[in-house]
Amino acid sequence: MKKTLALVMAVAMCGSMLAACGGSSSAASSAASASAASQAKPVTLNVVTSYGGDDGNRANYEAAYKAYEQATGNTVLDASETSNEEWKAKVNTDFETGSEPDVLFYFNGVDSNKFVESGKVVSIDEIRAEYPDYAANMKDDMIAASPADGKKYAVPVNGYWEALYCNEKVLADCGLQAPTADTTWEEFLAMCETIKAKGYTPIACSLQEVPHYWFEYTVYNHGNTANHTELPAASTDAVGAKWAQGLNDMKALYDAGYFPVNTLTAGDADTFQLMTDNKAAFAIDGSWKIGYFQENAMDINDFTVTYVPGQGERKSTDLVGGLSMGYFITRKAWDDPEKREAAVKFVEMMTSDEVVSTFGATAVTALKNGTTAPTDADALVTAALAMTKGATGIAAATEDGLTSEARAALFADVKNIVTGKTTAEQAIDACLAVE
Amino acid sequence: MNNSTIYKRKAPLAVFLIPAFAFMAVFLYYPFVRNIVNSVSKISGLGTASEGINTPWYKNFVQLFTDEKLRTAFGNTMLLMLFTIVFQVGIALVLALLVDNIRRGAGFFRTVYFFPIVISATALGLLFNLIFLYNGGMLNQLLLDLGWVKEAIDWKSEKYYMFTMLLPVMWQYVGFYFVILVTGLNNISPELYEAAAIDGASGLQRVTRITLPLLHNTLCICLTLAITGALKVFDLPWVMMGQGMPMDRSWLLGTYMYQQTFNVGDVDYGSAIAIVLVVLGVAISQLANAIFKEKEY
Repeated sequence: MKKTLALVMAVAMCGSMLAACGGSSSAASSAASASAASQAKPVTLNVVTSYGGDDGNRANYEAAYKAYEQATGNTVLDASETSNEEWKAKVNTDFETGSEPDVLFYFNGVDSNKFVESGKVVSIDEIRAEYPDYAANMKDDMIAASPADGKKYAVPVNGYWEALYCNEKVLADCGLQAPTADTTWEEFLAMCETIKAKGYTPIACSLQEVPHYWFEYTVYNHGNTANHTELPAASTDAVGAKWAQGLNDMKALYDAGYFPVNTLTAGDADTFQLMTDNKAAFAIDGSWKIGYFQENAMDINDFTVTYVPGQGERKSTDLVGGLSMGYFITRKAWDDPEKREAAVKFVEMMTSDEVVSTFGATAVTALKNGTTAPTDADALVTAALAMTKGATGIAAATEDGLTSEARAALFADVKNIVTGKTTAEQAIDACLAVE
Repeated sequence: MNNSTIYKRKAPLAVFLIPAFAFMAVFLYYPFVRNIVNSVSKISGLGTASEGINTPWYKNFVQLFTDEKLRTAFGNTMLLMLFTIVFQVGIALVLALLVDNIRRGAGFFRTVYFFPIVISATALGLLFNLIFLYNGGMLNQLLLDLGWVKEAIDWKSEKYYMFTMLLPVMWQYVGFYFVILVTGLNNISPELYEAAAIDGASGLQRVTRITLPLLHNTLCICLTLAITGALKVFDLPWVMMGQGMPMDRSWLLGTYMYQQTFNVGDVDYGSAIAIVLVVLGVAISQLANAIFKEKEY
């Protein structure tokens, strides 16, 4: 028994020694693999974008970041929401309290000035010093610079345009065709008169809720692409006079009865319903509105989108649009050695040619190669592609230069201007006083 | 352990009271004090930090007296308060008296009248928006089909906006006061009515001589709740008459404060309006308590 026990113990000891020898080699290899793992250790990126709940590109965004997660092994903690003033406030608060995300998809204009001024976001130049290929697929000239310091921070995805949506069924019933690149403002007014005489609403617009699209184009019609974004110092200066002329053009449209009867009490949804119900002919809105028509139109082939007829120095083919949003990398993520590369790779993947094409082939783009047109494009998308292709100039919305307070004051006064309760000049001065 | 020992030991009371107090302190008292500070500060946008004290510090309070839209909001809120007393409590009282006099189906009517309270105000706003819609709205379709009008009516125009805004608000809360008043009526002893009937009192006499005097305290509670509640009305008018339509005529203090803070981004002025709301609320509820004093029976 003792011999057996001694044999078992001897075997066990030899075994443990062998195991120890083997163990040292496996420990060495696991240490090596741990070190390798620490180099490519999966990280969690906090990302905030405006591709929230009901955004038309939500599904494309989700697919894109999930592809990133699969490719890198990193995790994206997505806290995206729909873009509105409350969302902007939340983002501002996050930055104020040091809880900013690692990557932020946000406005590159005055809205992000505070992040830039406080050094909480990293410029593209600084990133390129370490990652020379960062945003290399983009045209640098089209990446908007921050108004705060003139440096570029945000890598854009899909831009926007604002243009004239037309109900061709209504126009055909009036014996008309949608305006073209050659249609003048006077011809457009004559079309509106014909449409009104036929019993339709010429222009679907809620002056109570969304007068800004018509403001942009009526002002643009008294200027040009180079000076459209200039802000007035007073209603009496050249820019102020241009704004007043634009606002008075809106009053003329209102006085002529081209807007819906209830334009001062209807919401945006109510007036757009007139378009899809074949009761109105024209509406100015953004590139994002294509989805509305695709979802709500009885026949998408009844709708097209074209240039807003121009006058003066502005050609009809000059569009309001631009690339107003982009991906920022925050200083917090950049200074974190574990997150720096993950954040850079994330932005690179989200702004690749393939991903940008899925986000809106018709939109204004900064891609050097342009977007790839979808193979199943409907009539509206095809018209939008042709329109952007034929654009001769593009100017950002001039309202973007105003603070939200000044903007709200100006647009709240549009109803007073068109009804004659105040003058365009008084409204501009009141807006500038807030500014 | 007798009762006196229980009441001498205060520690258990504190254990139960402190969490609730802490909750109130964090979510009510601190924001209230912060709101006062904000009203004299310069805050350029929602979510942004204060840039210091306004120059002069009372700038927003001066603006309160010169702001035409705020004057409209104040007037509308006072009007709403009056309508609340007359229609919400008044209709609720009539309905409660009627239901109290029926033998069958009282439970059914209690449920039916109370039902609007359980529906969210936002849903009700959307519902009434569809009823009052200009193009194809239920009311316009009905009036046109009956031939009572030749053209659709814009129910949100300057001519009709007050009716359109107030009707759903009145309708929503009638059931709330109805249930309180029915409960008050149930507390009146049936023996009093029996004695009055034996004495030959008519139905009207029973209401005026027995019901209303004995319902006095319940009515006082309803009136105080209605008056203070009118100051807080926000959701239904906001959904239906967003941004003070038409022509800035339908602002209420609640909707105007929200507009200034969340849409315009004038956070400090919005805070000043919030203070007006609080001061008005306290003053009016004190006044209501003084006028509608409860009686000892």
